[in-house]
Amino acid sequence: MAKLLIGTAPVLSCEGLQKSYGDQPAVVEVGFDIAPGETFGLLGPNGAGKTTTISMIAGLLRPDAGSITVAGERMSPTAAAAKGAVGLVPQDLAIYPDLSARENLTFFGRLYGLAKQPLRTRTDEVLEVIGLTDRAGDRAGEFSGGMKRRLNIGIGLLHRPRLLILDEPTVGVDPQSRNAILESVEQLSGEGLAVLYTTHYMEEAERLCRRIAIVDQGRLIAEGTRRELVATLGEQDLVRLEVFGDAVAAAEACAGVEGVRSADVEESTVVCLMHGAGSRLASLLGAVAEQGATVTGVEVREPDLEDVFLHLTGKALRH
Amino acid sequence: MIRAALIILGKDLRLRLRDRSVLLLAVVVPLGLTALFAAILPDDQPRGITAAVVDADGGEVAVGFVDGVLPALAADEIVTLVEVDDEAEARREVAAGDIDVAWLIPAGFSDEVGAGRATEIAVLVTAGRVLPGEIARGVAEAYATQVGHVGLAVVTAAEVAGSAPGPADVAAAAEQAAATPDVVRIVQQATASGDRLDSTSYLAAGMAAFFVFFVTQFGVTGLLEERQQGTMPRLLAAPIRPGAIHLGKIGGAFVLGLTSMTVLAVASSALLGADWGPAPGVAVLVVALVLAALGVLALVASFARTAEQAGNLQSVIAIVLGLLGGVFFPVPGDAELLRIASLLSPHGWFLRGLADLRATGDWSVVWPAAGAIVAFGIVAAVPAVLRQRRASTW
Ligand SMILES: Nc1ncnc2c1ncn2[C@@H]1O[C@H](COP(=O)(O)OP(=O)(O)OP(=O)(O)O)[C@@H](O)[C@H]1O
Ligand SMILES: [Mg+2]
Repeated sequence: MAKLLIGTAPVLSCEGLQKSYGDQPAVVEVGFDIAPGETFGLLGPNGAGKTTTISMIAGLLRPDAGSITVAGERMSPTAAAAKGAVGLVPQDLAIYPDLSARENLTFFGRLYGLAKQPLRTRTDEVLEVIGLTDRAGDRAGEFSGGMKRRLNIGIGLLHRPRLLILDEPTVGVDPQSRNAILESVEQLSGEGLAVLYTTHYMEEAERLCRRIAIVDQGRLIAEGTRRELVATLGEQDLVRLEVFGDAVAAAEACAGVEGVRSADVEESTVVCLMHGAGSRLASLLGAVAEQGATVTGVEVREPDLEDVFLHLTGKALRH
Repeated sequence: MIRAALIILGKDLRLRLRDRSVLLLAVVVPLGLTALFAAILPDDQPRGITAAVVDADGGEVAVGFVDGVLPALAADEIVTLVEVDDEAEARREVAAGDIDVAWLIPAGFSDEVGAGRATEIAVLVTAGRVLPGEIARGVAEAYATQVGHVGLAVVTAAEVAGSAPGPADVAAAAEQAAATPDVVRIVQQATASGDRLDSTSYLAAGMAAFFVFFVTQFGVTGLLEERQQGTMPRLLAAPIRPGAIHLGKIGGAFVLGLTSMTVLAVASSALLGADWGPAPGVAVLVVALVLAALGVLALVASFARTAEQAGNLQSVIAIVLGLLGGVFFPVPGDAELLRIASLLSPHGWFLRGLADLRATGDWSVVWPAAGAIVAFGIVAAVPAVLRQRRASTW
């Protein structure tokens, strides 16, 4: 695969990452690089191992095996230089509700070693970026969910990291705040920041990330641009049949129809990946009817990342 | 490491100051309880103890006690002497509670001592008068030690127990004993035995010691809160040594504990008329006690999973140690088991240290007590350190 930013050393490079909790493997053989200005997406369902991967990259957890280099420094829980190059925005809110927005920023800024005056200037800048200048003196505990999320992100940006890690930053955020968050990520990446973005929202990954890795059960099962990933499905169409009746039996019947590569069930919907859907739709409907089920809705479209995931794992990305 | 720890400590103190519960626990409640108890408890001062002595002997050794030691104590207003005619009357008055204690010196006492044979001074104590009993015993004990060969029997109401003698040159010893200022000094200390501080000072110090084990608890809960609040990953991701987080929490607990005890010592003196004794000695004991509380804290931190668990565990330990140490009521001097148990309590050592400090006015006497308190803290912290070593991550 052609690398866009040839000649630019990656900000993050990790390989062979492994981590188990007890004898339960959480991350197995994960590796990827992120170049400056690149936003890299980790897309996977709950429990896929996204947060565990990120925790190792940010130096919170020591991997059982594998290596991580950030900004040319080997990462480990005691590697101050490497950790200083990373801005982490944890999945769960990591702010002190009894401190004001400004106090939260100042505290973490000091931990990252920012001197007094630069810290003050930078805090004002970040407050501006996250749109909390007017509320800087208010207790973070009194903020709305979206404002807390923005503060959570602001803390990760404060010390001007080379690599920003965002772990599902938009969970539980209204569409407007969500859009604001996505826009600021786009802007930051435009400024040359490398971003590692995890999500289980396919649309976010598609919008933000040049390259995406799909993870499931701790393994990186596919990696590439959106186009490359969708291309793994071949020149195919996606047909979604909403079924009233036995969806599983209907899916089995569909799988027997000519041209159908796979037929999976998502609740009461049969999702078929097939060649030449236009000419074969009638046989598909007939196969369902033979099972005594009724089709109540039909959709034919190009496959997207969600379908890639479904195809690769046999299950839906979102539950 | 230190810089990062201080930043974390500063942040925590700021949060604690906003959180009224710390102020309540560290200052308001202990001071309030002290004031309340001081007001409702009768002033249990040894000053008013009334005593009689029955000298059935009249020999030199007995006279040393009756005419040498006791008048000195009466002059110091430690004892009010009451005349009794004979042993029977003394027993009646003690039994009736008209007097607190009586010393009985048996006939032939001086001769027996002179001959190096077993003899004794019996101390009769009115039932329930723990404190005067202690004092009377202390007085007799002090004299017996000086003379060298006198046993001692403490009796509540009647029976008399025997004890062992020794040889030699007793009349001279008796004379010397009666004259020596040591006896009186020992006795003055003994007078305070069980409650050597006046009750307000005792209560204030006891409450401060009791609550400091709760106040320092914020070190552990602070650590667990970082986890529950989700800020721990952020601290761990920062370019600081992981140890700095612990250090900051422990340092914060230390500052809180020290502040609480200092404020209480000053406030109870200014507002309630307590007197903890010479400041350098008090400072040594306070620092030692806060360190002991930190040791317990480390222990609790290594076992508790949640802030609630930590709170409960620390409370149980604080209450047990406080009770054993006699922070609520003094450990009675005749309850040997409790006395031994109180040796296991840093609170007990703290109060004993203060009592010695008050009795002597010499601040260097607190070192043994301070040492015992710190040793307790170290012992408590050992399992925590071992467990911490084993746990490689959080
Ligand atoms: N501290 C832990 N102790 C034991 N098991 C853990 C721990 N943290 C995560 N796991 C397990 O490791 C696996 C991966 O979890 P992880 O949190 O990395 O997933 P995730 O992709 O971030 O999921 P989500 O989208 O729900 O955040 C899960 O099976 C999880 O139960
Ligand atoms: Mg996660």
